[in-house]
Amino acid sequence: MTSLDILLEVKDLRIHFFTDEGIVKAVDGIDMNIFRGRTLCLVGESGCGKSVACRAFLNIIRSPGRIVSGEMNYYKRTTDNLVNVINIAKLPPKGDKIRQIRGKEIAIIFQEPMTSLSMMHTVGDQIMESILLHSDATRIEARKQAIELLDRVGLPKPDRLVDEYPFRLSGGMRQRAMIAMALSCNPHMLIADEPTTALDVTTQAQIVDLIHDLQRQLNMAVLYITHDLGVVAEVADDVAVMYLGKIVEFSDVHTIFHAPMHPYTQALLRSIPKIAIEREELDPIKGMVPSPFRRPSGCPFNPRCSKMMEKCTSVEPKITALGENHTVQCLLYE
Amino acid sequence: MTANTATVVLVAPTVTMSDPNHLLEVNNLKKHFPIVRGLFSTVTGTVKAVDDVSFFIRKGETLGLVGESGCGKTTVGRCIVRAYLPTSGEMLYQLANSSIVDLATLPGKEVGPFRRDIRMIFQDPYSSLNPRMTIFDVVSEVLRVNKICPNSEMQDRVEALLKRVGLRPEYMQRYPHAFSGGERQRIGVARSLITNPRLVICDEAVSALDVSIRAQILNLLEELQTDYNLTYLFISHDLSVIRYICDRIVVMYVGKVVEISDTLDLYINPRHPYTEALLSSVPLAEPEGREERSRIHLQGEIADPSNPPSGCYFNPRCRFTQERCQSEEPKLRDMGSNHFVACHFAEQMSLKGVIH
Repeated sequence: MTSLDILLEVKDLRIHFFTDEGIVKAVDGIDMNIFRGRTLCLVGESGCGKSVACRAFLNIIRSPGRIVSGEMNYYKRTTDNLVNVINIAKLPPKGDKIRQIRGKEIAIIFQEPMTSLSMMHTVGDQIMESILLHSDATRIEARKQAIELLDRVGLPKPDRLVDEYPFRLSGGMRQRAMIAMALSCNPHMLIADEPTTALDVTTQAQIVDLIHDLQRQLNMAVLYITHDLGVVAEVADDVAVMYLGKIVEFSDVHTIFHAPMHPYTQALLRSIPKIAIEREELDPIKGMVPSPFRRPSGCPFNPRCSKMMEKCTSVEPKITALGENHTVQCLLYE
Repeated sequence: MTANTATVVLVAPTVTMSDPNHLLEVNNLKKHFPIVRGLFSTVTGTVKAVDDVSFFIRKGETLGLVGESGCGKTTVGRCIVRAYLPTSGEMLYQLANSSIVDLATLPGKEVGPFRRDIRMIFQDPYSSLNPRMTIFDVVSEVLRVNKICPNSEMQDRVEALLKRVGLRPEYMQRYPHAFSGGERQRIGVARSLITNPRLVICDEAVSALDVSIRAQILNLLEELQTDYNLTYLFISHDLSVIRYICDRIVVMYVGKVVEISDTLDLYINPRHPYTEALLSSVPLAEPEGREERSRIHLQGEIADPSNPPSGCYFNPRCRFTQERCQSEEPKLRDMGSNHFVACHFAEQMSLKGVIH
């Protein structure tokens, strides 16, 4: 992969929430690169900071949260094929510059299709909003585009649907409408935050395939956030496993599933039931994700780790490269 | 208590089960909800949430009930605990003394004792616990209300069970907000087991949990099954969890049973096109060979249970649909070796499973 293909470069990103009870380090120093045309899956249990991290890429962190340090370099391609580097972390969250990126260059689909669409506006109006905001199209042109988009995401009778209110749509249809909205400005990067968690398996399969097809057509980078390892195995090119605000392991999907190195990744894979002839016993991870106010010292995974060593409680592991595209944060490999 | 014995005496001679090993037999169960409109609550239609469902649960087994949202699987569970009064049908339940009761027609006042025998575990560990009751109150409520055991014993009984489900009894006087999702689900498990039930209905009991916690709860449920000799009706939409925990599976689609089979047989050799499509959409946790895997994309949306299509309810979305499917409703037929299917053409199709 050349540096031209890189779209978003995240360096030592830290996002802390300053609450009355103390500081929550939701994202605690993550590095990652997102490439054009590739799918990166961010996996982890609830509370590991995956959703907060992806919201940071759009600079929509809500107070009391704040980006404390780090860089998010967005490689924006200009019309004459030059690359303009913009550090999203430095942009004011309400300024014009971030609004040029938000929705236009980087779009997001949220988990709950039921609550993330406005019920007061028609589907068409909600899609047209971003078209009108980011281009010079007139209302009539924008409406035409909205109908095309609805057709493209596979919704039946798009010319009728454009004037419907979201409550008339089923969960799967709403998620398709959300995708149409996200695609309205031909984004270079699509963030999908648990896009199928609230849907049935049959609908989930359709949405997963739809995102995959659209990605190939538009050569988008997709950042897919999920806790479902089955979905990860279906869609990912690369996988980042998060635990308590850190990326504990990063590699391509085959390595993560067949040769995981971090004890947390290994334990996660042992704790999911697999559909196979042999019924394997589940081996759950002991304990639970600690409260964010009581972060263990040293390696955050040490109280639950099966390979815990003495130094794990005191020494914080650094990012160790194991291969060309494989990093791990664990003292076993330092 | 007298009411209970009276029922047993009355009902026992008239109804019998087809097999003495069955704990529960559901025959032609229907639950229709009226759609009411306007000032005078005129009934303008019915939602056939459960429509002519028949299956049985053997003693000591785990029966899975799968289907997409809105297929009526939760309604079946709620009918069995009589949270809903069924519209028609039978629910024959075999008591510990092998007498048989029809739960569907039991008068409301006499249901009480069976609510201790048949318990439920709910999906959402956050909303299913009253935030103003301590853990002790939550778990012991059913004992107090039904005066099952004296107050002096209650403490010990709750303590022992909390320990068994993996919670520290010292925390008994705390409120639910102090516990995490996984711990709350353990509290839910303790609450349902405190009466020493025989049948436990797990309604999406692990669906809201994180992967690592889900594995803990699944293993706990299995251990408790052996320890207390429990029978589970496991309602879920997650086919990998169903594969792990169930002995047999009932597949539902829009209020009807489309297929019943032993677990492994269903995954290897599905006989109904809906089951095949459902299985093909399950994401497998295996990146190898994912490009070659072909998914069956169902066309259109799930049928509306208030206005279902004629004939087989699945016919508008089925790949193999023929004229007969639109006119004649398929009956659930025995295909041999514990496999039942409701499809006219089950013999003529060779469908693909997910395990080869």
